[in-house]
Amino acid sequence: MRWSIEHKETWLHQTNPTVKLLLFLPMFIVIVFVHNPNVLINWTIGFTALFMLFSGYRMKHMLLFFVPFFFIFISTSSSMILFGKGETTWFRFGLIHVTEESFYRGVHLGFRTLLFAIFGLMFALTTKPVFLFYSLMQQAKLKPKYAYSFLAAIRLLPIMLEEFQTVHQALKVRRAAKAKGFRGKLELIKRYAIPLLSQSIRRAQRIAVAMEAKGFTNERARTFYYEMTLGKYDVYLFAVICMIVAMGYYVADAFPYVPIKDVR
Amino acid sequence: MQTKGLKLTDVLTTVVVAIVFGIVYKVWGPLYYAVKPLGLHLDQLIYGMWFIAATVAYLLIRKPGVALLAEVAAASGEFLAGSEWGLEVLFYGFVQGLLAELVFAAFRYKRFDVAVVSLAAVGSTIASLVLDFYKGYIDQLAWWNLTLFIGARFVGAIIIAGVFAYSLVKALEATGVTQLLRPTTKEDYDSLDK
Repeated sequence: MRWSIEHKETWLHQTNPTVKLLLFLPMFIVIVFVHNPNVLINWTIGFTALFMLFSGYRMKHMLLFFVPFFFIFISTSSSMILFGKGETTWFRFGLIHVTEESFYRGVHLGFRTLLFAIFGLMFALTTKPVFLFYSLMQQAKLKPKYAYSFLAAIRLLPIMLEEFQTVHQALKVRRAAKAKGFRGKLELIKRYAIPLLSQSIRRAQRIAVAMEAKGFTNERARTFYYEMTLGKYDVYLFAVICMIVAMGYYVADAFPYVPIKDVR
Repeated sequence: MQTKGLKLTDVLTTVVVAIVFGIVYKVWGPLYYAVKPLGLHLDQLIYGMWFIAATVAYLLIRKPGVALLAEVAAASGEFLAGSEWGLEVLFYGFVQGLLAELVFAAFRYKRFDVAVVSLAAVGSTIASLVLDFYKGYIDQLAWWNLTLFIGARFVGAIIIAGVFAYSLVKALEATGVTQLLRPTTKEDYDSLDK
């Protein structure tokens, strides 16, 4: 959804959004059932390379995108490293108990999250939401009322952002933009949420009436402003993913980085 | 004209509300890993925010299917906004929404009180824990740590997606906006006869 960041259109942008989604989503399940950290490290390298080389964004932007991943890596792996079960103790201090097993398991978890993040970023940065929903209607037979609702909602975001700023400034002037404590914070969220939600609901109602009048709900025999098709780039993407997956397994077997094959 | 299932109006309102929460979900990510280093699973107390779209949408629109749609839409919004967790949010959103939906279905979509939404929040928590079990090897944490982890998540979910969601919708009711959304009830007809 980052329209504003300049980038080149690469073949990853040309792939069909539905195909891309159908290729990426099963990877989640595949990754969850991989317990060998070597394989995950190889895949992380492979898919990071795919992302870096072909997403069409500038290097400095891509590196910026990776900053939060660093925190995610630390935060997902740290609990397991510090508090996980294991036999071979490396370090013990009070409740903290670092073992060899828990360390590798923690690092494995970190790479797993990193991979999900890379897939997510790769998808989000190379897919226009408009094309995604048009493609879902045409290739995945998503009902138009759902697809157009999503598209309308995305269009409303800038208006909501503007409203958020208005509310924020209004609260600031009244010195009500800050609150102390957990209850206070929840109360504060409410102060922002009520006007934003109520306005959004009213607006959604008006738009829905207009959309119904214009026949956006027609289920059958409708035409589309954008015709989405399948093409050779979808085959390329499929081939590249298969290649990285296979290479990852092969390299993990031939040149392992860590001597552990199963972190459970 | 009464059609089966959700009408465009319902879908659009649900999705719009859900996308607002999708943005909140996105912002919640950095907050979540910012409180993580503070200590022992304090972060789990705020995890419940990721279940709130389902309960709020259900309380607002009060129709079958809304909770699932809202949670999926919020997750998609978070995903398209470039979530740090990437693809997994779609799975989490779907399963969390599904279990919340099942709780509402178990009450035949007839109850709209704190107890039911809290139960739905518990349902979503279970859903997220099942996925964490596969994804995060949480069963491999030391037992005291795991208890703390699960306990904190349940408590946070009930407070945020249960009680807070309920009070949020109560406040929205005061603005009168919910009258646009809900199906007409028997009381509405009765009030016409008075």
